[in-house]
Amino acid sequence: MTKVYCIGKGLVTPLGNTVEEVFEAAREGRSRRLFERDGFSGASFFDRIAIEAAQKAIQGIEITPRTGLVLSTTKGNIEHIGKADISLAASARSIADSIGIKTSPIVVSNACISGIAALLQGVRMIRSGEYDSVVVVGAEVHSDFVHSGFDCLKALSPEPCRPFDKDRRGLNLGEAAAAMVLSAREGEWEISDGVIRNDANHISGPSRTGEGCYKCLRYVMEGVNKEDIAFISVHGTATPYNDEMESIALYRAGLSDIPVNALKGIFGHTLGAAGILEAIVSMAAFEKGIVLPTKGFSEMGVTYPVNVSAKERPAGGKLFVKLLSGFGGVNGAMVFRKGGAQ
Amino acid sequence: MDNLINELKLKIIDSLNLDGMTPEDIDDNAPLFGDDGLGLDSIDVLELIVLMERNYGIRLDSPSKGKEVFRSVAVMAKYIAENRTK
Amino acid sequence: MKKEVSIPSGANLTAIYRELVGNYPKFFKMDTLSKLGFLLTEMLVGEEEGRFTPREDRAVLVFSRSGCLANDLNYAKSMEEEFPSPALFVYTLPNIVAGEISIRNKYEGETSAYVLEKYDRPLIDAIVRQAFQDRITRDAIVAWIDCPSDSEWTALAWIETKD
Repeated sequence: MTKVYCIGKGLVTPLGNTVEEVFEAAREGRSRRLFERDGFSGASFFDRIAIEAAQKAIQGIEITPRTGLVLSTTKGNIEHIGKADISLAASARSIADSIGIKTSPIVVSNACISGIAALLQGVRMIRSGEYDSVVVVGAEVHSDFVHSGFDCLKALSPEPCRPFDKDRRGLNLGEAAAAMVLSAREGEWEISDGVIRNDANHISGPSRTGEGCYKCLRYVMEGVNKEDIAFISVHGTATPYNDEMESIALYRAGLSDIPVNALKGIFGHTLGAAGILEAIVSMAAFEKGIVLPTKGFSEMGVTYPVNVSAKERPAGGKLFVKLLSGFGGVNGAMVFRKGGAQ
Repeated sequence: MDNLINELKLKIIDSLNLDGMTPEDIDDNAPLFGDDGLGLDSIDVLELIVLMERNYGIRLDSPSKGKEVFRSVAVMAKYIAENRTK
Repeated sequence: MKKEVSIPSGANLTAIYRELVGNYPKFFKMDTLSKLGFLLTEMLVGEEEGRFTPREDRAVLVFSRSGCLANDLNYAKSMEEEFPSPALFVYTLPNIVAGEISIRNKYEGETSAYVLEKYDRPLIDAIVRQAFQDRITRDAIVAWIDCPSDSEWTALAWIETKD
């Protein structure tokens, strides 16, 4: 099967707009979840950050008539509901036009796993042979709509979130945009496998047996030697049920001893941006030979063992795995392999 | 108390979209959750928390507190009678 | 000949549910988008042998232009009324319909929701073909359900099989 590589990356986050800046913030445990919007006067803050992230990612890369666009988001311009065309397709069109993409844009809106689902869609488009490159953009902005929703689900933590901790009380919402350009042309990172599986259990509660997440791990481990895994970047929302579910899935997959980390204590939960943002930051950590600390974690608070730490640790290996889970019973896993490593 | 129980059953049927059910179909003392009773789930708990605040001015801060109060319609009615602010 | 099913805009969904199913009360908690996806799938697989046995080899791929806009508007209205409804909020994602289909039918494979600019059948067919790159997926429930309001929609579905 055609190998697919990441050949461009772009970030727009409250912690900075370069991979280096954002990685350093994550390493030092600095957290900022929301943008300062001072001086923003455009029609759509969502479209703006998504376009900026895409523009950064395509620097030095030729956009051809066979370049595709995949947008990952859950709610797009929802802050303007009732006042403007908030359709996700309209946002995708505005991003495509801004960066000169001629093919029809595709939006993947698969709850909190949208980022992995969109990258997987991009990988498949390259493998189909019908695209020269695919720009995958994930973005989410903060809105009263989403905030009130998570509030009425009693899922918001009143304090900075604490993934896997015994005193975790829920998630914090964040906002960001992140983009990758995928191509069959050789790059530093290969996206070698990805998968989506459904719990088929409940639309908002994670499976008690971690069914879908376990199936995702089982699927991607078919092509991975366990010794090659540097770390697993878990979803780690810091809600009681999500983190417990992930501990069960990792245990069932025989991966309890692999170092894991969660980045929601730095960025909050950036929903449709999370998969791509957290993957880019994880790439930087891998390149520096470290597992990033899990900010907010202090004392183990899940039933099954998880190799998580509040401190930075050295990492060795050939690849890392990214996990996500979300409403609708969806789970996703993706393997990022450092160029050429077999 | 019987009036409150009947009123409560109607509100539960309405807010949880329990199609085709009447107050007579709900036993005062049957568990609301789990497979034996109405089989309500975690979203229903949250919706009942909204029902308590909207109709009776009672704030329940956590779903676990909710599950205590929502053991049965009779338990709920007793809790409302003792704590209602409207 | 591939079986393709549809539900006319504005049809009485409760009546269709009572005729086809009747014993799945969770139907009444769903938003219009999920009800449409649920019923379309019943029309496609209602007679299938071995139904309800958990399976990982069938994907559920739902396409639209409007996503879950109809229910977004319902939730936004509940926000204005001081008590936002958690039961409405959980349906404010375009992929929940795929989750409801999975729960009902015990489909443990891939589920995804895509938003496109218009009903573009060649593009949908291409995305479905690409989904068959999954090593386990053998077929897929594919639906175009565009539901900008609770009273008007386009809803059609079919089963696509890997070559």
